[in-house]
Amino acid sequence: MLKQELIAKNPIRHLNSGAEGNISSRMGLVISRAGLGKTAILVQIALDSLLNGKQVIHVSIGQSLEKTRIWYDDIFKDIAEGCKLSNPYEIYDEIMRNRMIMTFKESSFSRSRLEERLNDLVYQNIIRPGCMVVDGYDFATADRGIFEDLREMARTMDLQIWFSAVSHQDDQRTSPEGVPAPCHEISDLFDTVVVLEPSSGSNCIDLNIIKDTAGNVTGGLFLQLDTITFMIKEGCR
Amino acid sequence: MRDLAKARNIGISAHIDSGKTTLTERILFYTQRIHAIHEVRGKDGVGATMDSMELERERGITIASAATYCDWKGHSINIIDTPGHVDFTIEVERALRVLDGAILVLCSVGGVQSQSITVNRQMTRYRVPRIAFINKCDRTGANPDRVIQQLRDKLNLNAVAVQLPIGLEADLAGVVELVSMKALYFEGENGEIIREAEIPANLREEAESKRETLLDAASMFSDELMEAVLEGNPTEEMIQAAIRKGTLTLELTPVLMGSAYKNKGVQVLLDAVAAYLPSPTEVTNYALDLDHGEVEVQVTNKPNDPTVALAFKLEDGRYGQLTYLRTYQGTLNKGDTIVNARTGKKLKIGRLVRMHADTMEDIEASGTGDIVALFGVDCASGDTFTDGKINYSMSSMHVPAPVISLAIKPIDNKAQVNMSKALNRFTKEDPTFKTFVDAETNETIISGMGELHLDVYIERMKREYKAVVEVGAPRVAYRETITQRADFNYTHKKQTGGSGQFGRVAGYMEPLEEGEYEFVDKIVGGVIPREFISSCDKGFQKAKEKGVLIGAPINGVRCVINDGAAHSVDSSDVAFQQAALGAFREGYLKAQPVILEPIMKVAVEGPTEFQGSVMGSTNQRRGMIIGTTEEDDYTVVEAEVPLSEMFGYSTDLRSLTQGKAEFTMEFATYRPVPKSVAEQLIAEFKKEKEKK
Repeated sequence: MLKQELIAKNPIRHLNSGAEGNISSRMGLVISRAGLGKTAILVQIALDSLLNGKQVIHVSIGQSLEKTRIWYDDIFKDIAEGCKLSNPYEIYDEIMRNRMIMTFKESSFSRSRLEERLNDLVYQNIIRPGCMVVDGYDFATADRGIFEDLREMARTMDLQIWFSAVSHQDDQRTSPEGVPAPCHEISDLFDTVVVLEPSSGSNCIDLNIIKDTAGNVTGGLFLQLDTITFMIKEGCR
Repeated sequence: MRDLAKARNIGISAHIDSGKTTLTERILFYTQRIHAIHEVRGKDGVGATMDSMELERERGITIASAATYCDWKGHSINIIDTPGHVDFTIEVERALRVLDGAILVLCSVGGVQSQSITVNRQMTRYRVPRIAFINKCDRTGANPDRVIQQLRDKLNLNAVAVQLPIGLEADLAGVVELVSMKALYFEGENGEIIREAEIPANLREEAESKRETLLDAASMFSDELMEAVLEGNPTEEMIQAAIRKGTLTLELTPVLMGSAYKNKGVQVLLDAVAAYLPSPTEVTNYALDLDHGEVEVQVTNKPNDPTVALAFKLEDGRYGQLTYLRTYQGTLNKGDTIVNARTGKKLKIGRLVRMHADTMEDIEASGTGDIVALFGVDCASGDTFTDGKINYSMSSMHVPAPVISLAIKPIDNKAQVNMSKALNRFTKEDPTFKTFVDAETNETIISGMGELHLDVYIERMKREYKAVVEVGAPRVAYRETITQRADFNYTHKKQTGGSGQFGRVAGYMEPLEEGEYEFVDKIVGGVIPREFISSCDKGFQKAKEKGVLIGAPINGVRCVINDGAAHSVDSSDVAFQQAALGAFREGYLKAQPVILEPIMKVAVEGPTEFQGSVMGSTNQRRGMIIGTTEEDDYTVVEAEVPLSEMFGYSTDLRSLTQGKAEFTMEFATYRPVPKSVAEQLIAEFKKEKEKK
């Protein structure tokens, strides 16, 4: 399979770049309880952007650079093998040039620090990201102002920012659209929200797209995460 | 002979300035190998290696010798030196090959630094069980908990504290042993008196909580301990046995702490070496059976089996040339004849010695798992010796090809002689260091794994061999490769009186994903006679020595022959070699050749305030930034940068960061150079060729 075919057939495109590949600035959220595959989804979103020629910054909070890198290696390998991608090494080399991983310890991460780093990178022309995924951010301690700022940053930089968030079973609060705590009070700041839920009767995790103001997700679209391969697939109900 | 169960062959490895030399010295003091403690002055970078060498010379001891033997409470311990800098990777790996366990020394302030990561990765590759020692707990900013967390996060080790410091920084007084739940204080002028006391009340709660964490981790390796914990009566022996089991399977890393400089915690560390690190019998080692297609065979560790020993280090000391050997099975006796498996040469063991810190002891025999030295043996580092009954070689290690070279010129005749001696020694000691005389320029070229690697050898030539040399500009070891399949069909025909030369070779060449070269014979019907198939292979191999783009060696090519022709009189070995050479050249240009350059994995560590400038500097050098790791006010920037762009980086980095950042670099891979660089290289090559 050629790269273009892969882009066109990648199920994650519905969420990320859009079926037409035309979505730019946006804030997205993948939320679930721990261990359901949020990182795998963020990495696939990042890979979709990379395949579309965008530059990507992966911000990993609390996870090492090496571990994050392994996520990309493994998922790309699965994609390449799964669709028998021709010249995978070349494509891998090419897209990884456009990816940068920034890891922070929980205690040393702040919005101002992230913004400072991004400005540094853009100013020096090291990377001009079209997509940023932020994995491991602690929403429980975050305030609304931070996300308003980040939304503004996404708009001015023409950037898609995707976050992962951990919800807890014992916290039943939700927003009117059904976005679980701790993001229920800032759900209006996200254009797309995906809740991960174990699928009843199968080994998959359902991607429940509860919000999509970009209107990209067409009716009837149903995505699942295969828990064995960690790959997203178009499922059938 | 050593009681194998009580023998330990260990390495001490550390990031520069973590206190390895001080710790080794204290170990030798407490094991009564030296009788006074001297201090090592602060040091940095290359200086550290040189400082310790100078120190050794001045004091006539061999702290950093390849192996030093000492006794501790009935256990015989061989401390094998593991060089700290990654530029000496092969030396580190060779040392790791012969040791059974290791102490990973970390600074309580600096924590896990880039070199610790590299060394840890190598230890994992060779499956070396390790214990960690957090040193310098007396320093301002000491934070052992943070270091333990880094061991878990950065090195992926299941690190668990078996001790708790009593006070930190200037208040460091001793440690709490979490296994015995006793406080230990190190008293006397040199901390030689250990006073056991109750745990101070203010630490009781913390000690209980950390012991619980330790028991949780250790009980994963022992059902007996788990039951005992549930019943509330675990014994010290049970806990130690479980920790040992976890350590040997590399699933647990016990963490000890103290300050070697302040004489705190070293004796307990030695107890831990005896308690948790493996004896030679508990480690599985493999050799290659050269008589049976290099099949991997497990060495037995049995003293009566045929002898297998590995020469892991050559050293030119004050006692003359020493070859350090580790025996894997059988025994080595004075007067025995042993065979070098690589050369087949026999030699007699004239003198067998065991090295101590400042003396050596002549011994009659050495047993399995032992580390001894021989005098005046002609061999190279990495050679295997057997008693001739078997033909084993200890599994060959991957020797990376050199990535950088430079021309050296002795300043006078005396230097010329000494330089030859030095080069002869270095190439035997270190397989990644190579030297040759360039036939075209008549210059002596040395090549190795990095700028610093070569710098150190030049410095050693000067200091140890009094060979002063002029050094040329460093050159990068470029390669060429092909990017697509191409056919060839070449006839070599020559008629110059007498019998002529004739050979036709046809087939194709294609890129090889892994490996340097592969030859595939698909000839059917004997169109090329059997006896000339190997001639074709030879011809291709000769052709790949020099590519046509810039004259660099060609890598990653599979040559397949599927047709050809021979003449009953005029075909010969030479004719087919020439035909293959011509065929290769014909196919090569059609196969879209490219130039490859060595790419280095560079890690720059420094204060966060300089992150922007560090990233900018790697970016300017055609570097690909992989990522950054920020922790408090410290950042590591990891990047892949072409070696050709890394010359002089240390100077630039110093000025960019006011000397506050440091970097390590190791070879990562070969990658095609950008078009503009390729054009420039090709033009330079043409220009040089025209000059000649």
